[in-house]
Amino acid sequence: MSGLKQILFLTLHEKRDVALAVFFGFLAGVAGVALLASSGYLISRAALTSQMTILIVMGACLKLFGLASALSRYAERLFSHRATFTMLSNLRSSFFEKLSPLAPGIFSHYRSGDLLARIVGDVESLQNFLLRVLYPPIVLLLVFLSTIFFSAYFSMGIAAVIAIGAFLTVFAVPAVFAMRQRTIHNAARASRASLSTESAELLHGFRDLKINQRLEQKQQQLEDFSGDYGSQQRKEGLEENLSQSVNGLVALLASFFVLGLGAYFTAAGELDGLYLAMLVMISLGAFENVSPMAAFPAHFEENRKAASRLDEVAPAAPVLKGDGQPPQWPFDITLDNINFTYRGEERAALTDISLQIEPGTKTAIVGPSGSGKSTLLQLLLNILEPDEGTIRLGGRELAELDQEKVWESMNAVLQENHFFFGTIKSNLLIANESASDEQLEAALSQVQLAELALSMKVGEKGQNLSGGQKQRLAIARAIIRRKPLWILDEPVSSVDSITAKAIYSELFSSGKDESFIIVSHDLTALSQMDQIIVMDGGKIVESGTYDSLMQKKSYFYELKQIEKDVFA
Amino acid sequence: MELKQLAFEQRKWMVLLTAASLAKGAAMVGQALFFVLAVNGVFLEDAAFADITPYLYGLLGAILLRAFCGYAIGRAGVELSTEVKLKLRRQLISSFAADPLLASEHGQSGRKVSLLMDAVDEVDGYFSKYIPQMIQTYIIPIVLLAVIFYQHWITGLIILITAPFIPVFMALVGIRTKEKADEQMEKLGQFSGTFLDVLQGLTTLKLMGQADRQQKTIKKSSLDFRDSTMEVLKSAFLSSLMLEYISMLSMGIIALEIGLRLVVFDSLTFFTAFFVMILVPDFFNMLKDFGSAFHTGRSSAAAAGRLSEELTKKTEPVRFGNTELALQGPGLLELEELEFQYGGGFSLGPATLEIPPFSQVAFIGKSGSGKTTLLHAIAGLLPLTGGRLLVDGMDRQDISEQSWFSQMSYISQNPYLFAGSIKENIALGAGRKVADEEIMAAAKQAGIAEMVLSLKQGLDTPVGEAGRGLSGGEKQRIALARAFLKKPSLILFDEPTTGLDLKTERILQKSMAELGKGATVLTVAHRLHTIKKADMILVLDNGKLAGAGSHSELLSSEPLYREMIEAQFGGVLQ
Repeated sequence: MSGLKQILFLTLHEKRDVALAVFFGFLAGVAGVALLASSGYLISRAALTSQMTILIVMGACLKLFGLASALSRYAERLFSHRATFTMLSNLRSSFFEKLSPLAPGIFSHYRSGDLLARIVGDVESLQNFLLRVLYPPIVLLLVFLSTIFFSAYFSMGIAAVIAIGAFLTVFAVPAVFAMRQRTIHNAARASRASLSTESAELLHGFRDLKINQRLEQKQQQLEDFSGDYGSQQRKEGLEENLSQSVNGLVALLASFFVLGLGAYFTAAGELDGLYLAMLVMISLGAFENVSPMAAFPAHFEENRKAASRLDEVAPAAPVLKGDGQPPQWPFDITLDNINFTYRGEERAALTDISLQIEPGTKTAIVGPSGSGKSTLLQLLLNILEPDEGTIRLGGRELAELDQEKVWESMNAVLQENHFFFGTIKSNLLIANESASDEQLEAALSQVQLAELALSMKVGEKGQNLSGGQKQRLAIARAIIRRKPLWILDEPVSSVDSITAKAIYSELFSSGKDESFIIVSHDLTALSQMDQIIVMDGGKIVESGTYDSLMQKKSYFYELKQIEKDVFA
Repeated sequence: MELKQLAFEQRKWMVLLTAASLAKGAAMVGQALFFVLAVNGVFLEDAAFADITPYLYGLLGAILLRAFCGYAIGRAGVELSTEVKLKLRRQLISSFAADPLLASEHGQSGRKVSLLMDAVDEVDGYFSKYIPQMIQTYIIPIVLLAVIFYQHWITGLIILITAPFIPVFMALVGIRTKEKADEQMEKLGQFSGTFLDVLQGLTTLKLMGQADRQQKTIKKSSLDFRDSTMEVLKSAFLSSLMLEYISMLSMGIIALEIGLRLVVFDSLTFFTAFFVMILVPDFFNMLKDFGSAFHTGRSSAAAAGRLSEELTKKTEPVRFGNTELALQGPGLLELEELEFQYGGGFSLGPATLEIPPFSQVAFIGKSGSGKTTLLHAIAGLLPLTGGRLLVDGMDRQDISEQSWFSQMSYISQNPYLFAGSIKENIALGAGRKVADEEIMAAAKQAGIAEMVLSLKQGLDTPVGEAGRGLSGGEKQRIALARAFLKKPSLILFDEPTTGLDLKTERILQKSMAELGKGATVLTVAHRLHTIKKADMILVLDNGKLAGAGSHSELLSSEPLYREMIEAQFGGVLQ
């Protein structure tokens, strides 16, 4: 529930717009009721007398209330939508504010890539919060209160009937359906997820399914899941329909009782018949407004879930990392008996890793995929924390240092580098806002990308760039940033070997006193490294210089032999 | 694909919708009638309460009928939508399953999943909301109008003259806003993209120390987005204001006319006046409801377009026959002018070649030269556009699908593992029930038994979707275990390039040799080792067979081969 409270707080932040929306909503509702009430009353009066004034008043009332209702409705919509969109923008930035300190660590906990898409979807769905959850009951309550006060002047009994009807349609019925909605919503979400997963399996595993003759079986399975999802959606739809019908019926029944009671009082002489039509029309008019409450349970449940999911992703108080000052460059890096296992996995990703990296040296970490190279880098970046063992920068424990200050001395290029929708220039400037065009162009030519214009458009996630171009742009960003400690994870795996060699020699010649830690499964260009660390199965199997490892004719030597044998 | 047509194909629900709408119209008339009768009774005719109780019963009946019909209409809409969606999904699934290009096509899966999930869900509104509302709007206002005409024809006439202004004005406003709205929809898509973009780039931003600045950007672009959205909404709200205003105007005229007769001319009874005054707002409310359902309907149309594009796409299936392969063990494969072409683009062949049983064949060529495509065409995963493949003299197209695939294994660079246990993933190869011992034996042959036994749950250890939790080498070995269980006579193998650990590398070499003993093996080769020991090497260049022969034959006779080998391995050859 704390999730929705948060949303409520953000919504009420837009005091003026929310208040105006409620005010105009109320005005529109009351004017609508007044319109019907006055027509009921005036028709009754007209039936008794033949005064022209009645006619004039009647015409004026209809115009006045009609116009007031229509205009207020317009204003209500305008303000409520404005408030909603402002709330969404507040929500987005406050959510970003909360998520930001948790990144990038949080992304390694959720390996699934759709986490972010889900977040965006959840935020979007909260646009219904004000429009369909928060304020229909408030406006209705106000409209009903004034209706009840007004009719109480004519008959307490009828006012009581309207009050009971209002209670049922605005609170009781939606509450009951909101309770029922919980289980339905969960089931629908779960069956949707399995259909989506199964269909991805059919598409990705098509060839293996076809050859192993399991395609038809999978297809059948997928149809079953589709049927299951369909029936869950059907249940949802029927529930909404039932909610709507029950609410509509209760509203009509309330008017029925208003008429019955009114007719009884009139016949008994306790109520002037002149007002009967008016009271009936008031009731019809007031209950006409309750239809949004039919959709309330579904929206409420959806919003509640969305808010609590968002709350789960970014808990209110971010996990506090250390706040110590990192040492001044140059410093050495030592790893002491590091062990690490990914959450929810049985096998350790790293076991007993100890190593030392002196300032101003070049270290390569090599090994087959899955051997733990990238995990080791993530630990060095303090994105992941070791289960056991310590990492020290210049003798200070990494875990106790301020994470962001540590990154300030680093040039990190990860395997996945994000490129934003924009231009080459805007993407490079992320590294250093004050860099001049000349600096940017120089960096581009250092990574052999001089042919790219700074003004070139970059699509979402850099989709119009090739894998090799993206890698080289990421290196260019690091060059522009120019920090003394380079941490590179497979930086040139999609770049041809000649270009890769050229980029490495550019980097090494311009950064003589800088440290390089490079993860690679590519074994070329390793002769310039001061230290090569060979990993397999989460362990360091050997380490040394290129020449010493080649002379040893052990693991590294054999990897090298295989590489020579590869015909790409 | 016309959505409307899809709806009318569901006759049962359409008939029900029509009947329920008629009944609802009648109930609305009845409700107004009994309301008015009861009020009229006690107000003007000084009737006792007992005298009007029949009216109250009538009213109760009408109200119950109206609620019931409303429920029935809503339910019919839901059922209609459920059936159509089920049908659409079934069609999509069969179209996916029947599309042979899926085997080779990558990067399209996301779009296809979104079609199956989102696009189908987006048409829901059309069937569950728009169609029921449309039918009600066709029927109920006419019922109401008929009653109004019957009661007081002048009111009917006024409605008849003023009501058409509503669609006319709506259309006018609609044309003006549509363009703007479409533009806005594009912006909306882009905007929700921006938020996602920044979230996805959070790691990069953090490492660059730029996260704080982005927060302001988010806020600003979000507010800009709000302002431009409000512009469009304003015109949309204006159109509903217009609708309300016209209906208000029309009701005003009617009230004036009724009032005149009631007060001045005394030519109308209270009963008629009150009755008409209840029915007229109902009439306009129906039109308003249709207006809002209309928007739902329109947004479904775009999704329908995407669906129909996929469903009408023509794909040539791979043809199979009914003959069972009688042979035990590998047969003679003959490629006769074999051709495959995809669209107007890449074309393969014509390739003519004889592959004797038990031979080890290596396919080599630059990337994009068609090695994998040729492998797929031989495997029967792609439809031939020309020529034939003969197996012991029998056309592959005459062989039954079941008997063809049960003779074959395909081990790709990145085999797909399904969510399930390791056991289930290995047993996939057998196509029959297999004992645990047999699976374990296959696992041993593939060199993965040791690793499986080290897991707490052993063979029952679950692997995630796409084999999450296993390394590339482990996935390869599970795929090998599948093949050991299947004992195929034809093996197609896409050799992994790099990134395997030494142990897996050795196991793969050994296991492949073992597996290849009883089969013909066609390998897309990346290892010089594999190429050298192959009985036959096929050199592919731009989809054409540029040479065939053993390593030494090709070295002496085929300059292209010589060139390729020298460029790659340089000194290694000597």
